[in-house]
Amino acid sequence: MIEIENISKNLGEFFLRDISFNIRDGEYFMILGPTGAGKTILLETIAGIYRPDKGKILMDAKDITYIPPKDRNISMVYQDYMLFPHLNVEQNIAFGLKLKKTSKEIIKDKVEKNSKLLNIYHLLHRYPGTLSGGEKQRIAIARAMVIEPYALLLDEPLAALDTQTRDRLRQELKRIHSITKVIIVHVTHNFEEVFSLADSVAVMNEGRIIQVGRPDDIFRKPNCEFVANFVGVENLFKGKSIVENGSAHINIDGVNIFSTNRKSGEAFISIRPEEILISKQPFKSSARNSLKGKIARIVNSGATAKITVDAGVPFNVMITKQSLENMELKEGITAYITFKASAVHIF
Amino acid sequence: MLNKLKQSGFKIFTLCFSLLLTLFILSVILCVVTHTTFGALITNIVSKEIQFAIRLSLITSIISTFLCIVVSVPASYALARYKFVGKSFINTILDIPLALPPLVAGVGLLLLFGTTSFGKTLASVGINFVFTPLGIIIAQFFVNISFMLRIMRSTFEGINPRYEYVAKTLGCNDAKAFWKITIPMAKGGLLAGSIITWSKAIGEFGAALMVAGATRMKTETLPISLYLNMSCGELNLAISAATILIIISIVSLFVFEKYGGIARLY
Repeated sequence: MIEIENISKNLGEFFLRDISFNIRDGEYFMILGPTGAGKTILLETIAGIYRPDKGKILMDAKDITYIPPKDRNISMVYQDYMLFPHLNVEQNIAFGLKLKKTSKEIIKDKVEKNSKLLNIYHLLHRYPGTLSGGEKQRIAIARAMVIEPYALLLDEPLAALDTQTRDRLRQELKRIHSITKVIIVHVTHNFEEVFSLADSVAVMNEGRIIQVGRPDDIFRKPNCEFVANFVGVENLFKGKSIVENGSAHINIDGVNIFSTNRKSGEAFISIRPEEILISKQPFKSSARNSLKGKIARIVNSGATAKITVDAGVPFNVMITKQSLENMELKEGITAYITFKASAVHIF
Repeated sequence: MLNKLKQSGFKIFTLCFSLLLTLFILSVILCVVTHTTFGALITNIVSKEIQFAIRLSLITSIISTFLCIVVSVPASYALARYKFVGKSFINTILDIPLALPPLVAGVGLLLLFGTTSFGKTLASVGINFVFTPLGIIIAQFFVNISFMLRIMRSTFEGINPRYEYVAKTLGCNDAKAFWKITIPMAKGGLLAGSIITWSKAIGEFGAALMVAGATRMKTETLPISLYLNMSCGELNLAISAATILIIISIVSLFVFEKYGGIARLY
């Protein structure tokens, strides 16, 4: 387990403020945030490159705050690979083992094992300058994994790759994690990566941790407007909430919405587009929210379509392409939207 | 059509400048090397005096280049990597020898080593810079160190510190990361800087003249030899010294062009 306690660090342009969170053994932990949030220096502080101005880092309950990086057994992979250009692939991967005075046979064995795990065994005698981005990133990961680290830190490892390579490497990261069970701390600005990989995620902005939780929780229950916007929550509204008879009703520019969340006063609400039903006739059901509106826009995106219904405020509704065709929905016609009070998240 | 003519007119105009300049430089060099016959040139090169000058030039320039490397590598690394109070002030001071006329640098060195108690203490323990070959070395060092520093500083600045970070997470301490990663990655800049420094050291005249004087067969480097023989009318000896200097310059320029680019690869 890695425990980060109240870490602060000021590097001028970038800074960390009172960062605290825990990473459990075997966890795939992601740090999500926009560019300039301080994600990279947080990783580098965990690795020991920077000493925090304040706070503590514990690894297995041992204080490692002032231990130099070489004695932490935490390895690191950067977005732009940082493969040593004067060493070939094999020497790059073996770099950490050689420093630890490992015997030649063991080095050979481990390099072989890790390069096979990452499908780069055939590249061992090449030099980094001649390889593709995906290959370089696999080598960087192998180089970090071969020392059998306590934790593996990944700084936007997929950001520089093309879509296809990214998807493949993402699956491999998942596979490697499930095989080795090493702690992985993965920094990204891409929310999709979070959903496919993370056990837990911390959202970061301007040097602070804004929210920590399971990806699903963050996605469904963002604790502030920044998180909601950043993870791409749609149907985000600001309104006034009044709690009555055990449920809240929220007034958003004259539109009333019920929620099972009980929070009163000024509040943001969000509703996932796929939790809203759309119909051409009023729809009687147990769902407490039913609104009449006009279809303002239909955007087709492959298998799904996003429909914007103006019901006083614009709601985005996600339906399949099939439904769109069957229901003969068109821009400009009247439509009803229905969603349960429990689908309305207040924060 | 008119447009095309205009364009090519401009092309010819600018091209003329480069061609004329090339011609000018070539004629200067050819005048030196064709002044005597090849046989006379060889005879003079193997003469005792020129042999002495070659040897002294090689020894002093190699030692001063070595000193430049030893001092500039750590100094420029600090300037490239660390933030500290007074950094821009130090940077400015370190650039001064680059702008200073070598004669002025020579006077300063002569005063420092000849008149101060610091210089006298050194002299009393046998390290005498004034009018000795040691003075030539210190003059070459002083004139060239800023140059070497600048090359090394920009070389180190061009190497992403994250290479060192990765090396540290894999088990290097600061010094080991520097030695195993940064230095090999800087070797292009190091080589290019050393060659140009060495070639400048071979040609160093003004500062060396002030500190070490121009004593025949004592502090007579190739440029000093050229100067001495030119002043007393020994044109053939002067030409042979000049020819050797030209060859060294051209070869080092060629090596610099070829390997200087390595620094930009990373």
